[in-house]
Amino acid sequence: MAARRERVRLDLTTPTLLGLPVAWLVVFFIVPIAIVAAYSFDVYSLFPGTHGFTLAAWREFVHSPVYLALFWKSVKMSLTVSAIIVVLAYPLAYYLALSGTKRKYVLLLVLIAPFLTSYLLRVLAWKVILGDQGVINTFLFWTGVRSPGHPISQLLYSRFAVMLVLGYIWLPFVALPIFVSLESLDRRLLEAASDLGASRLQAFRRVTLPLSLPGIMAAFLFVFIPTLGEFVTPSLVGGANGYMYGNQIVDLFGTGFPDWETGSVLAIFLFGIVTVLTVVFTRFLQPRRVAAD
Amino acid sequence: MDVALSRNGRIALRALFVLVVLFLYLPIAILLIFSFNNSELPAFPLSGFTLHWYHQFLTNADLKAALQTSAIIAAVSSVGAVVLGVLASVALTRRRIKGRAAVSALLLSPLVIPYVVFGISLLLLFHTIGIPRSILTVVIGHVVISLPYTILVLVPRLEQIDVSLEEAAYDLGASRLRTFRSITLPLILPAVVSAFLIAFTTSFDEYAVASFVVGTRTTFPIYLYSALRFPNQLPQVISVAVVVITLSLVVVVAAEVGRRVAEQRLGSLENAG
Repeated sequence: MAARRERVRLDLTTPTLLGLPVAWLVVFFIVPIAIVAAYSFDVYSLFPGTHGFTLAAWREFVHSPVYLALFWKSVKMSLTVSAIIVVLAYPLAYYLALSGTKRKYVLLLVLIAPFLTSYLLRVLAWKVILGDQGVINTFLFWTGVRSPGHPISQLLYSRFAVMLVLGYIWLPFVALPIFVSLESLDRRLLEAASDLGASRLQAFRRVTLPLSLPGIMAAFLFVFIPTLGEFVTPSLVGGANGYMYGNQIVDLFGTGFPDWETGSVLAIFLFGIVTVLTVVFTRFLQPRRVAAD
Repeated sequence: MDVALSRNGRIALRALFVLVVLFLYLPIAILLIFSFNNSELPAFPLSGFTLHWYHQFLTNADLKAALQTSAIIAAVSSVGAVVLGVLASVALTRRRIKGRAAVSALLLSPLVIPYVVFGISLLLLFHTIGIPRSILTVVIGHVVISLPYTILVLVPRLEQIDVSLEEAAYDLGASRLRTFRSITLPLILPAVVSAFLIAFTTSFDEYAVASFVVGTRTTFPIYLYSALRFPNQLPQVISVAVVVITLSLVVVVAAEVGRRVAEQRLGSLENAG
């Protein structure tokens, strides 16, 4: 039996199984990013002229008053959004996982379902709600709270609108990893804490919260990364005020005054930051065996 | 005493849950209401009931073409992603792999790439090797995006299945392919179906990457995006939104319920066997 199992494991079909998926990702994922990196150093270009390795575009990026400032603005916006919705989603996940409600999976599905519907259409909903002639403002005119000439115009095309919509879009998703980490929590640990005289708050701070930290981190990362590179929501509801780093990248590759070399620098910089964050977080998230056993 | 929640705590959390669910569904409800509103502008006061916008979108040829293009792209890319996902997941769960951590990191890495970066990377690749942008280029990008999701669905299911079933078939002389077809595949079928649905909806809704590599045939999200910039198209788009959101909610709920039921039944079969 042992010998047979060995034959099963060492079977030659492993390359056949892995070959196609790995090749697909290398050709259509890794190589393209490598091309962008080469482009950012001008080792490679699609435009005629002499090209060779140079840090010119990177130097310009670092010294430009625009790009890094815009990057920090985007970091602040996505940090704020991620922090707020993680804090908001935690009690929801806690309620579903630990209140002992019988219908927790049904309620979880209710919470998550909006995330699985169209992204653009959820942005559309807020455009309809927040506009100068939108649902909120016309409701205020109608009820006489504000006069029709004076809508609350900061609602749409602002940094606020971008953050509200991003929070709205990602909130259901954030609850999921937190729920999973709280669900796998051994309730006997809480009982033990209680038996040893801990109050609920103490048990939460010393047991539940530390054990759910990987879930919190995963949730945070899964919102922070996509919102940091976001360009769709800001271009629809952000206006000039809500313009983000991702929009700058798109514009550098766009139809106006394309500058693919600078655009590549911006893209690779974002990619680098995201990769470092992911590697650090996954190290941190390595399952440590602190639980019941 | 409940160690996790006091009575008041439970009430407070339930109230918060209800509030958040209201916040999540209210915008969708508002779309629903205004999709029947007889006015060019989605604004208060409501001015009467109409099915005009639904009728208009049913007869809109551009919109229908865009929906069709997206359906084709979603169908092809999700089949591709599921096939690659099954291959990779079987390898990850059933084989001893050198550099396993690196391989699974590569397979899951598209999960954490900002789509704007991936979009321009693909754009540069296709420019470099001279592939004109078309339905095919969007499909290629969507397979990359969907692949990790299919693996995340398939791997846990494959880990659940008792390997001795496969070993028994193999010991009895079935070839590897035969074992996969008659034992493994039927057992993971519910997960395969939900992986397919996830990949399909991901592709059908994907704007960011598609916007860089799409050809002359517009996809549904790209049609929507441009329609969102023209206020006079808004009422029509709202009615489309209602239909699409409702359909996707139905699919999501049906898929989840179906998967649970199917896996429970397969689970009892496995235990009996």
